[in-house]
Amino acid sequence: MSNGDDPNTTLLKKRHVRYLMHYLTILPAQLSSHDPTRLTIAFFTINGMDILDSLVSLENKKKKEMVEWVYRLQVLPDDGESKGQWKHCGFQGSSTLIFPENEPRCSKQYACSHIAMTYTGLAILLMLGDDLSRVHRAAVIEGVRALQQEDGSFCSTLSGSENDMRFVYCAACICYILNDWSGMDIEKTVQFIKNSISYDCGIGQGPENESHGGSTFCAVAALSLMGCLESALTEKQLKGLRRWAIARQIDGFQGRPDKQVDTCYSFWVGATLKLLGVYHFVDYESNRNYILSTQDAISGGFSKWWDTRADPLHTCLGLGGLSLMSEKDLLAIHPALNITMRAYKHLEDIQQHWECK
Amino acid sequence: MTDSGSEDLSNEPPIIFYKHRPEWDDVTPVPQDDGPNPIVAIAYSELFQDVHDYFRAVLKSGEKSERALQLTDDALDLNPANYTVWQYRREILKHLEKDLQEELTYVRGVIERNAKNYQVWHHRRVIVEWLQDPSHELELTEAILSRDDKNYHAWEHRQWVIRTFKLYDNELEYVDRLLTEDIRNNSAWNQRYFVLNNTSNFPADIIDREILYTIAKIKKVTNNESAWNYLRGVLERSDYGICENSVVKQFCEDLYASGNRSPYLLGFMVEMCEEQIEKGAGDSFYNLEQAVRLCDSLAKEYDTVRKEYWNYIARCLTNKRNSHCNNGSSKALIEEMNSAASDGTIVTSVDE
Repeated sequence: MSNGDDPNTTLLKKRHVRYLMHYLTILPAQLSSHDPTRLTIAFFTINGMDILDSLVSLENKKKKEMVEWVYRLQVLPDDGESKGQWKHCGFQGSSTLIFPENEPRCSKQYACSHIAMTYTGLAILLMLGDDLSRVHRAAVIEGVRALQQEDGSFCSTLSGSENDMRFVYCAACICYILNDWSGMDIEKTVQFIKNSISYDCGIGQGPENESHGGSTFCAVAALSLMGCLESALTEKQLKGLRRWAIARQIDGFQGRPDKQVDTCYSFWVGATLKLLGVYHFVDYESNRNYILSTQDAISGGFSKWWDTRADPLHTCLGLGGLSLMSEKDLLAIHPALNITMRAYKHLEDIQQHWECK
Repeated sequence: MTDSGSEDLSNEPPIIFYKHRPEWDDVTPVPQDDGPNPIVAIAYSELFQDVHDYFRAVLKSGEKSERALQLTDDALDLNPANYTVWQYRREILKHLEKDLQEELTYVRGVIERNAKNYQVWHHRRVIVEWLQDPSHELELTEAILSRDDKNYHAWEHRQWVIRTFKLYDNELEYVDRLLTEDIRNNSAWNQRYFVLNNTSNFPADIIDREILYTIAKIKKVTNNESAWNYLRGVLERSDYGICENSVVKQFCEDLYASGNRSPYLLGFMVEMCEEQIEKGAGDSFYNLEQAVRLCDSLAKEYDTVRKEYWNYIARCLTNKRNSHCNNGSSKALIEEMNSAASDGTIVTSVDE
């Protein structure tokens, strides 16, 4: 921080880079509950750094090592397995169930993919400039398809999981990134999303659940990635969604009516408004002031409230929330995939290459 | 993100590491292999490592025994978010034909310590399904909601159990109690709708009853988005839309005349005007001029954080005649946004 930078009005860029760099290396023992899902922490950390346009400062060697670490988490088909047996494929969230090289591997029944890890794993590879050439695309898609439920929703893993809108979103991201929608029955997925629209026009985690900023983002982004946000919903539904979403702004954004404002919803609800084409409804100044009030002026990072501790999720989403308002010095963000437009352009190049092949 | 771990078990006897327990002598622990250059490495405690080294060993050998069950207890105590441990625990429970009522008691304890954890609630649901016994669930969720009346997991679980086992009978009373405690509890309003949606098809008498109920609540606290949303939701179940109900029309007119300027009242009146305009119906109170006036006062005085929204609504209503906002409005919106926003590049992504 250069002397005189007021944290109430200035984004302390260098502090956030340093904060995220620290998390990239090591997490405190208190975060042990994230052990099975470390890839998501890596996602928020690396995505945050990318929004800060600071991945360039990482050495190429370091980036390569990070790519290798992510690829180690890929669950690949065994030799001789046919397509029908690829249900467990995708990415694991950490090496918790990865056994040393010379040990026989843990039963597939447990060492199977998790749909949120597959999405965040692919996203990290894109951010780091990898060409996805070592992703077994067909197997990953089989892994996604195996998780869709009768009602159109998705579970996260074959190894025991609830099913809700979060995983619908992850499935859509994966199919979009790999440009292969055979991973889902689109019609069923759309039906699940429509069934989850509440009487107040927001969207819940499933049918009849309370509308929520997170699940509304997941639903709207999934429809957008499927290319049917405008056609799947009626004009009345879109109108209601716009009203529900913009009503979430207090100064920053809340996730539900009469809940406390939280930095992460500046992204979840902000991106929803962007996808709905009405981001200009947002009062930039009060939103920006709120987000900046939650940055840690000493150690860097953002938290949900000004008096709580910063963490990588709120840091990434706080930065994402600022990026949606075209904050100076931040890279623009793809509102549906939650990756920078730089990473997104890289994806477009990769997809073009696939098509040429 | 929550901190995990009840590693600080201050009142409990000191933990003996698995590697020091003679009864585990026959098992070779399996260390985690994080590769040569890990990122986001967790600084695991020695206890965390010890327990997970033995969990990996058990997973590998497939041992399903009392001691393996105890091991999952310890692993879940350290990290209740590890879904694989829960899954393996379920397999042990089945294999040993354990008393699942005891398991309900156990998981209740875990839920009480980790009420916002997905895996714990999922485990609870599976055990209830296996037992086909929902008899403890309403009381459990009520206890959790008494500490945090908007806990999403608890509400999801409660809805699931009510829907699955048809336990709607006393739910409206419960909801009413919660709304008496906190009239703004949106989760409770949602639950009210959930009950009626599943027990009735919103016939006219229910709609009338719910309108009176909601109006009474709004009279108590007018600045309550949840109640106004519920009112709209119920009205939309009628055949007449939101502007044909004389009770609601009169209520809004009176409230407005009394000087009330709750943004939710004004916004609701704008919607009523809009519906009249769409129907081409003439109304001396709910009409275009009124709507524009209301939007203007919302933008300038009563809901200034949303002034762009209200200005937009006013423009839409004014332009209604040339159908700018009737159909194909999303395209029009994007055009408008592109011209309104300083940088319109990202909007293109919705076209894909």
